Amino acid sequence: MRRAYQTLAGLVMGLAANAYGSTLVVHVDDGHGRPADSAVVTLQSPGGDAAAAVPATATHTIDQRNETFIPYVEVMRPGEQVVFRNSDNTRHQVYSFSELKRFEYVLRPGTSSPPLTIEGSGIIAVGCNIHDEMITYLFVTSAPARVTGKDGNAQFEGLAPGNYQLRVWHPQLKPGDQGARLEAVVAEGSPAAPLNVHLTLLPDPRASMDREHMGY
Amino acid sequence: MMAPASVRGVVLAGLAFAGSAASAQDVKIHAFLDGRLVDAPSPTSFTEGGYGKTRYGSGDTRLQFGGGGLIVTAQATPSLLGLVDVQAQTTDHRMLGLVESYLRYRPVSLSPWRWSLQAGVFFPPVSLENDGIGWTSPWTITPSAINSWVGEELRDVGVQGQLQWRGQSSSLAATGALFRRNEIAGNILPTRGWSLSDLTYGLGERIRLPDQPSENGQAPTERYDPFRRVTNQIGWHADLTWRAPGNTRVTLLRWDNGADPHAWVPYEGGDRLYAWRTKFWSLGATTQSGPVTWIAQAMEGGTLALPGTRHVQTHFRSAFVLVGWNQGAWRPALRLEHFSTDNDSSFGDGGEHGNAVTAALAWRPHDWLRITYELMRVDSYRSYLASTGQSPSVKATQMQVSARLLY
Repeated sequence: MRRAYQTLAGLVMGLAANAYGSTLVVHVDDGHGRPADSAVVTLQSPGGDAAAAVPATATHTIDQRNETFIPYVEVMRPGEQVVFRNSDNTRHQVYSFSELKRFEYVLRPGTSSPPLTIEGSGIIAVGCNIHDEMITYLFVTSAPARVTGKDGNAQFEGLAPGNYQLRVWHPQLKPGDQGARLEAVVAEGSPAAPLNVHLTLLPDPRASMDREHMGY
Repeated sequence: MMAPASVRGVVLAGLAFAGSAASAQDVKIHAFLDGRLVDAPSPTSFTEGGYGKTRYGSGDTRLQFGGGGLIVTAQATPSLLGLVDVQAQTTDHRMLGLVESYLRYRPVSLSPWRWSLQAGVFFPPVSLENDGIGWTSPWTITPSAINSWVGEELRDVGVQGQLQWRGQSSSLAATGALFRRNEIAGNILPTRGWSLSDLTYGLGERIRLPDQPSENGQAPTERYDPFRRVTNQIGWHADLTWRAPGNTRVTLLRWDNGADPHAWVPYEGGDRLYAWRTKFWSLGATTQSGPVTWIAQAMEGGTLALPGTRHVQTHFRSAFVLVGWNQGAWRPALRLEHFSTDNDSSFGDGGEHGNAVTAALAWRPHDWLRITYELMRVDSYRSYLASTGQSPSVKATQMQVSARLLY
C-alpha cells in the first residue's frame, strides 16, 4: 500500500500538469500495461461540493447471463434503486450479507427482482447461492463516479476548473489495498491527455459457464 | 461388471431423485466422451496385472477408448442440489461405475456464516487438480499419483457437513465427514504401489491386483471391490480450508477409515480380502499469479492389516507441484512428483520409490472439444521385482493425444 502511494505521489506531479480542459479522462491499467476495466474512479473537489453533474439514474439493472453478473461493478448514488434480472435459463439466488444492505431473491429464468433501494454509501458484494463463482459489486457513493470500460478509461465531462481529489478502486485489489488516491488540476482549454493510474490487481475470481467446469 | 444390489439401489435412488426433479427448470445433463491415440510403454500396466505405473502398457501404439461419463444435476430447490455421476471405461475390462451420487443442502445465509450438509456417495475433498467434469483434471489427462489413488480407492458413502466463515477478502471453512464402505482403502498401496492413471473407479467396479507367479504358471486374475463392506466400521475425515483472493486456497485434511485390521471378507477364489486401517494427512495449496496457476499437494500416511498372526504395515507418501498457464484456448502444464511406500519386513516386498514428470498441452478450439497432448515419464524402483526375475527398476514413457467431447 505504501508503495502504491509512493508511486502515485510521483504520478501526481505529472498528472496535475497534464490534466487540462473541462473533460477529464482517467486511464487505469493493471500494472502490466493492460487496461483495467471495472475500476471505479470517484471525483471530489476540495470543498466537498459535487464536482460535476452526474446523470441521475433512478433504477440500475444487474443482469445475469451465462451464470455471470453483468456488469461486474455498478456505480449507484444513495437512495437509488437496483433490479436484478435473470436472463439465463437456470434459476439464480441473488443475495448479499453486506452491512450496508442484506437481501435475497430467488429468480426464475426471465424474471426480475423488485426494485431495491440502497441507502447510505459503501460497497455491496452480491453473490448467487447456487453458483458460487458469480459475484458483482454495487459501489454506492454520492460523489461523481465512473466505471472504466474495456479500454481502461473513465471520462468526466463538464468539469469546472479547479483541483480535484480522485480515488480509484477495483474489486481485485490485494487485501488491505485501498486503491489509488491522487490529485488532478482541471483548467480551461483543450482536452488533455488521460491521467494514467497503475493498480496491482489479483486474478479475476469469476468463472463463467463452461462445459469442462461444472462448478458445483 | 454387474453392480451389487445395494449399489444398484444407490444408483436408482439418485436417478429417481433426478427424475422427480425433472419437471423443475434446473435439471442439467453434462457428459464427456474420450478417444485417444496412445503410444504405450512396454512395462505391463497395472490394469493388465503388471507392476507398470501407467494406464497403458502394451508397448505399442493404438487408438483407445479413454472413457465416458454422464453427470446429471438437479437443483431441486435453491438450497438443494442433487448430482449423479456414472462413468464407463474398457481399459481393464468393461466397467460401469457410480462415481458420485449425492444430495447437498446449502441454505442461503445473510450473515458471514454459511453451512451445508451433503449425503450420499462423494469424493473426500483431497484433490486440487480434479475440478473438471466427471472429476477429471483440466490440466492433464493423467492426474498425479495422489489423486490417481483417490480416484481408485477413496470414496465416502456417508454424510459431510461444512461450516464456512466469509470475510471481506478471504474465507475459512471447516468440513467433517463420517463414512462407511471404505475399509479396504489402502490395499493397493502395499500390494501394487502407486499408479498414475485417469481411471476413476466407482461403486460397482473392481481393481486388478498384480498377477502372482503360481506353480502351474497360470497366474489367476485377481480383482477386488474397493468399496465393499467388511465390518461396516465408520471412518471420518476433517479438513480446514482457507480461501483468499487470487484464487488462493490452502487445505489441510486428516483421513482415517476406522477399519478393523483383523477383519476380512471372503474373496474371489476362496481367499480373504482384509480391511486395511488407513490414515493419512493431506496438505494442498493452489494460487494464481497472472495467467499462471500453481498447485502443490503432499500426502503422508500409513496402512495396517493383521491377517492371522501377521502384522503388515506400510508407510506411504507422495507430493507433486503442477504449474499451468491459461493462454486462452491453449493451456500448457507441467507436473513433477515423487512417490514411495515402505512395507515392513513381514510383507516380503520392501516397497517402492519413484518420480514422474508430466507435460501436457490442452487446446480448446470449441467449447465442446478439448484436444490434449500428454507426455509422461515415470521412473520407479521396486526391489520385490528382482525376486520374480524382473528388473526392479522400471522406466516408462507414455504419450497420449486425447480428443474429449464435452456436453
